[in-house]
Amino acid sequence: MEVLEIPAGTGMPAIRLDPVAHSHRFAGESYPENTSEFYAPVLAWVERYLAGLAAEQSAEFNFEIVYFNSSTSKIFMDLFFQLEEAAQSGKAVTVNWIYDRDNEAALEYGEEFAEDLVDLPFHLVEKAS
Amino acid sequence: MSELQSPEDRAIEACRALLEETESSETVPRQALSDLLRQFEMLNKKIKRVVKLNDKQQEREKKLNDQLNQQNRVLGSLSQDLSKYLSPQLYESIFHGRTDVKLNARRKKLTIFFSDIANFTAITERMEPEELTYFLNSYLDEMCRIALKHGAMIDKFIGDALLLFFGDPESRGPREDALACVRMALEMRRRLEALGKVWVGMGVSEPFQARMGITTGYCTVGNFGSAARMDYTIIGGQVNLASRLESNAQTNDILISHETYALVKDEVFCERKETIFVKGIPYPIHTYKVIDLFSNIQKVDEITENTDGFSIYLNPDRIDAGRKDVLLEKLRLVTERIQSL
Repeated sequence: MEVLEIPAGTGMPAIRLDPVAHSHRFAGESYPENTSEFYAPVLAWVERYLAGLAAEQSAEFNFEIVYFNSSTSKIFMDLFFQLEEAAQSGKAVTVNWIYDRDNEAALEYGEEFAEDLVDLPFHLVEKAS
Repeated sequence: MSELQSPEDRAIEACRALLEETESSETVPRQALSDLLRQFEMLNKKIKRVVKLNDKQQEREKKLNDQLNQQNRVLGSLSQDLSKYLSPQLYESIFHGRTDVKLNARRKKLTIFFSDIANFTAITERMEPEELTYFLNSYLDEMCRIALKHGAMIDKFIGDALLLFFGDPESRGPREDALACVRMALEMRRRLEALGKVWVGMGVSEPFQARMGITTGYCTVGNFGSAARMDYTIIGGQVNLASRLESNAQTNDILISHETYALVKDEVFCERKETIFVKGIPYPIHTYKVIDLFSNIQKVDEITENTDGFSIYLNPDRIDAGRKDVLLEKLRLVTERIQSL
């Protein structure tokens, strides 16, 4: 698999999915003009990646999202449920929801996402200043 | 089954019950139903979560919006208060981004107006402070209202004196700026005359009378001061000249320089007055007393003629009958001189 890298743009977060380091990152604001179209290659990449991920291999997904729209929240739910299924099947995937101390909303949204996830370790991490 | 369950939750429960009742031998439809149920349950969860998140975002946005509106109201009220310390022209110009709030200046042709109240110091000594405050503020308020109506930039109040100019931040061209200034001065004079009558009725023995000076020329205009506290003002010999014209004017007169006269002479009737010398200006200044607009003069029983080398203005109502012979002798001389041409 190849690294998937999308640079940040207006309303588009910077995304880097790295199948070698097994460390994946979403950062910035997310309100693309066409959310489904923007995230389609990301969701497809993650699906393929999880299917080929070895059970003993840990992988982390880091989210540093400061703002997102409703369509993005639906996409993130899809992504988290994909990861939840992987975790249920014994894969060592974790999510780090990284928030800024000054951005109270980001923390609350992370807590909301975490509520539906049972087997996926979902960590709320305060960003080091 | 709870009354509070949503239709989706009820459908999920019904499906689960159906799955339990379904014969275990019917593996394929059972598996299909089970998969469908799982997908539906997940979708239901996602939708509920997305809706909840959306609600939270809306709630937050509303809160922020309310805060923003409140701050806007406070800022609006503050800027309204602060605007009273600025000329409305300047305030508008800054608020619409046409003027930079930084220390800079440029040379520009402006028409400058300077006025003060004749014998003000003596008048202040005879008035109580409350009375003085009331009459001075009424006077300045009326004069500023007229100034703004004609598009003046109010530079500053110096006690009873007023410094105004035309041509920056907005200009209608030197001629129109000069005309606007003279029209303004004439309206101020008329208004002050009317106000004087009202004030006499209120018991004021010596109502305010003004002297006004106007000139046109190049000045340095812009922001002067420090980065923390600046004034939008004008600097240059022309400002001194406007002040000198004002001090040379008689009570209730408007004295203008030749530069202004040259711009307004087609519409304003003026009388030539003496030449003055002003420190910092290396040439003599020809001065003119503004009588009125030709358009106003022609409405009453007056005769005017104003061409190069010849100027006449006759208002029979204002002539002292005792000087009739002197005037007739002058007219005879004028007639003779013209006939000899």
